[in-house]
Amino acid sequence: MAEKKAKRPVLIYSLTGIFLLILCVAVSVAVLIVPYEKCKTYLNIVFMDQSMKITPSAGLDGLVIKENEIPTEPIPVSTENPENSGDSDIVQTYYDQGEIIRPSFGEQYAILNCDEISLSVPVYWGSSPELLELGACQASSSVVLGETGNVVIDAHVNTFFADLSEIQPGATVTLFTTYGIFTYQVTEQVRFENTNKKYVLPTETDRLTLYTCEAQVLGTSSTRIGILCDLVSKQFYNPLQDGESS
Amino acid sequence: MKNNHIKLYPLKVLLAFVFVFCLLGTELLLSVKHIALNPATFETVTETQQLDEKAYTTLESYFRSRANSTGIPAEVFLNPITKEQLRQGTLDSVSDALAYLKHTSDSYEFRMDFKELETSITEFFENYAEENHFQKDEIYQQKITSTIAEAEKEILFIADTFKFSTIHENGWLEKARHYIPALDRFIMIALGLTILTGVLLILICLKNIREFLYWFGISGMTSGILLTAPCEYLKAIDYISGFIIKDPQIFAAVVGYLNTMLNHELLQGILTIAAGLLLLILFAVLSKKIKN
Repeated sequence: MAEKKAKRPVLIYSLTGIFLLILCVAVSVAVLIVPYEKCKTYLNIVFMDQSMKITPSAGLDGLVIKENEIPTEPIPVSTENPENSGDSDIVQTYYDQGEIIRPSFGEQYAILNCDEISLSVPVYWGSSPELLELGACQASSSVVLGETGNVVIDAHVNTFFADLSEIQPGATVTLFTTYGIFTYQVTEQVRFENTNKKYVLPTETDRLTLYTCEAQVLGTSSTRIGILCDLVSKQFYNPLQDGESS
Repeated sequence: MKNNHIKLYPLKVLLAFVFVFCLLGTELLLSVKHIALNPATFETVTETQQLDEKAYTTLESYFRSRANSTGIPAEVFLNPITKEQLRQGTLDSVSDALAYLKHTSDSYEFRMDFKELETSITEFFENYAEENHFQKDEIYQQKITSTIAEAEKEILFIADTFKFSTIHENGWLEKARHYIPALDRFIMIALGLTILTGVLLILICLKNIREFLYWFGISGMTSGILLTAPCEYLKAIDYISGFIIKDPQIFAAVVGYLNTMLNHELLQGILTIAAGLLLLILFAVLSKKIKN
């Protein structure tokens, strides 16, 4: 009996501690839930990179550059000719509508060719100083080749687009991708200020816009020079799958 | 006697409950004043995260990339800038911002000494113009001015690793400035309330004086747990490393600063738990001695 009596205060003291903790936690949660809900969106934006958690290395800032093998010649496809058994013909089939492979940021997804100025340059999806060192860059705000709209590509004037201003209306520009060939014809040469977004905004018709800085002796130029091209042909390697729309 | 003890029990629980939050509030407010707004904290982060090194590498990458479109070699900009200058720039930006926040300065403007940079750019243009017989007209002068202005803007942007200039431009520094003078008042209020509830607890426990050790003990432990548990959770999932800005110097500065704060709060919480536990042990020992 005496032992029971002695144990009682210990139990009360222990339960009081647990009760106080539960009470304080409950009050804290009740008080903080409203401010947390209000801040949640901002917190999710500021600390959204929970899945990647890359500690950025100086220079690349987490950028992953991916190179691809892109054919610039027709892909040979071997098909058996049923009429001449034993012989095989090389037939390349193209489709007007086809499967588009969306690139990721930093991925090389096209090769731009223009015979008029002997230009052949890799095109990367997205734009950053590192990618501009490697080739031309397509703004990720423009449409992917094959989709209807404005395809906007730029490069440095001191490197890949040094002779861009020499391309005359009527010249042909071809873009090779892993999923098709897209041919454009130059229609116009343009000159605009970097604050003028007229030529880089989305369009409802198929257009290719290539631009670079205006060459200057020294320093940066606020003037841009470019060419506008109309789509001549789309040649997809693979047809659209059932249920897909171009 | 026993009835009196039971009657006072809810009051003791209530006082302990108030004491927990007063203690927690005092601890957090003192942390804001002495750790979060202390230039030494920023200095430690600058040193441990090697912000000067990271800022210099970013600057190097920027000017090397710009050389493609401007035709001006990166060395023209990089040679007059040292890592020590960038480190000092970062610390000056912090001390200027804190001085503005604490009302010891009326304005915030982050500046660096660019005399050598200006000389380097001007010399390069002069040499280039002489070698290439470039006419030194109005356009030439404009080019020098705009090149210097662009370079200074970029260096200031990169050296301000804690981004006080951006915070200031968005008006947040001014908003925070309004609340900083109230911080001392809040600390006094929280500290006063903590002492008051503590004294009340002692007064209530006067008939069984050692009991106040118990109430202080469980209050301290609860307060410590409330502080430690969320900090430990954030640390365990490495939440802060999910910071979205991946520019190396900004990422290191912000994540380093937040982790320093988190570690400090964690330590404070653990020490509070330890103090509470010590009081409980003392209470148990004294109770046993009296019984014997």
